[in-house]
Amino acid sequence: MKIALAVWKNRVSPVFDSTRVVIIVDIENGIVNDKCYVHIQAHMPHNRAVELVELGVNVLICGAISRVYEDMIKMQGIKVIPFIAGDVNQVIESYLKGKLNNRNFRMPGCGNKCRKRFRGEGR
Amino acid sequence: MKDSHIKNIPHNVTEIILESVSDGVFTVDKKWCITSFNRAAEEITGVSREEAIGKQCCEVFRSNMCEMNCALRRTMKSGIPYVDSSTYIVNFEKRRIPVTVCTSLLKDVKGIIIGGVETFRDMSMVEELRRELDERYQVGDIISRSKSMRKIIKILPKIANNDSTILIQGETGTGKELIAQAIHGLSPRKEKPFMAINCGALPDTLLESELFGYKAGAFTDAKKDKPGLLALAEGGTIFLDEIGDVSSAFQVRLLRVLQERTFTPLGGTKPVKIDIRVVAASNKNIDQLVKDGTFRQDLFYRINVMQLEIPPLRDRKEDIPSLVTYFINKFNKLQRKVVSGISHEVLESLMSYEYPGNVRELENIIEHAFILCPKGQIELHCLPDIVSQSSDLETSQSIDDVKKSVEAKLIISALKRHNYNRLEAARDLGMHKSTLFRKIKTLGIDLPKTDGRSKQKDFS
Repeated sequence: MKIALAVWKNRVSPVFDSTRVVIIVDIENGIVNDKCYVHIQAHMPHNRAVELVELGVNVLICGAISRVYEDMIKMQGIKVIPFIAGDVNQVIESYLKGKLNNRNFRMPGCGNKCRKRFRGEGR
Repeated sequence: MKDSHIKNIPHNVTEIILESVSDGVFTVDKKWCITSFNRAAEEITGVSREEAIGKQCCEVFRSNMCEMNCALRRTMKSGIPYVDSSTYIVNFEKRRIPVTVCTSLLKDVKGIIIGGVETFRDMSMVEELRRELDERYQVGDIISRSKSMRKIIKILPKIANNDSTILIQGETGTGKELIAQAIHGLSPRKEKPFMAINCGALPDTLLESELFGYKAGAFTDAKKDKPGLLALAEGGTIFLDEIGDVSSAFQVRLLRVLQERTFTPLGGTKPVKIDIRVVAASNKNIDQLVKDGTFRQDLFYRINVMQLEIPPLRDRKEDIPSLVTYFINKFNKLQRKVVSGISHEVLESLMSYEYPGNVRELENIIEHAFILCPKGQIELHCLPDIVSQSSDLETSQSIDDVKKSVEAKLIISALKRHNYNRLEAARDLGMHKSTLFRKIKTLGIDLPKTDGRSKQKDFS
């Protein structure tokens, strides 16, 4: 399984719409098999979604994302975990442990409003 | 006196001011952590002050500029304040909020830079208003800002994605073929041909050979095979215009094509299978033709899977200004002219004209004006007389005459709207039917023999 993490300066990129780099993490049996940085070329929502599909991504972890981007990516069968903030390595580690729903990884202000969305957002 | 006023000002006046303004304001330290966050910033971003303070500004503000083009970063680097940079932020509803941003340096009392200040203004309302002002729906060459057309344009993609037969009804010149082309252009068949034929313009035999084609030897001079439009449209769309004018005999042949999706070319022996989408149109009310017995009911049901009614231009006059601009641009390009627009008087005339020929007539009017006004503004004298006189009120007319002429116009238009049903028209005009009868008589309005009540009379 491959997860993509929108990255900026070793933290989760604040807004996926303008993200330029993602880390593709290849996970096998709950262990990171491979990690690589990829420059996202496309800007338009549909093209971005297609690019993620071409990279074989199953899950996207990102910061804020506007509805149109999220819809396009979901339409391609990719699960989206939005409004995540924090250090990239810690986010990957927590995702593997199924603990990404920890408050520490929520974007500021995403408290009560996002609690429902975060339920079960581990692996 | 002055000193006592200053003494009365509380020490936290800046804080009070910041809390009362409607612009969002936050400050950051040199590590980009938020150090203050006002009430408006809380409202616009949806992040409370407690949660924002101490956090990275990009994770609180969440603008598309943060990574690539952060205004605050530029200010901190160059020392130059930035004013009114437009951007958007993404809120927790995943909605983009347009904002304008101003940035400047934050210095301590000694003048040492300790961070930056960013103020931002929610432009959602302004954007919404601007969009509403600019709003015109355009699909292909169809432009409209009217509600009735907007409804049609909005459902066109859904219609296009389906292969059902469509019946487009509307007066001549309303743009039925443009709608058909738009349906084809939006459909999965768009790479395949779009073929149009005016069924009303051709006699049966010619229509048959045009549509079905013929085999060599089918008739004298048929020296080689000629494919018909149905074959040429294979995989694409065929547009049957003026289908209401097709003879009863040909209606049977069309019905067979629509039912079986096969046809036999003239002189051919084997039926040919086709995969086409059919879009039919008529400027006549096909429903009425079926009632009158001139149009086959079974064919009507075949073509009437989905019906689109294109409103006449006189019922959507709000479209006139944008259509005029569109045609002016079109003719400027086609004829290499530099007409800049129309004068206020011309717009007034165009708005008060009734357009029996609809959009096509408006296009012709602009083309006419281009001949007489090749550059600058189109003035009243460039319009055809019939249009330029439409808003004329002769100065010699008395108020009574003007009142009478306006009354007559209103009555005629109400009668037309209600198919000359006097009672309905009277209700619409808010007068008693006997008042309407009296006015029709005194104003000398000519009425057709039908009176809109129809049925009893028809059978009598």
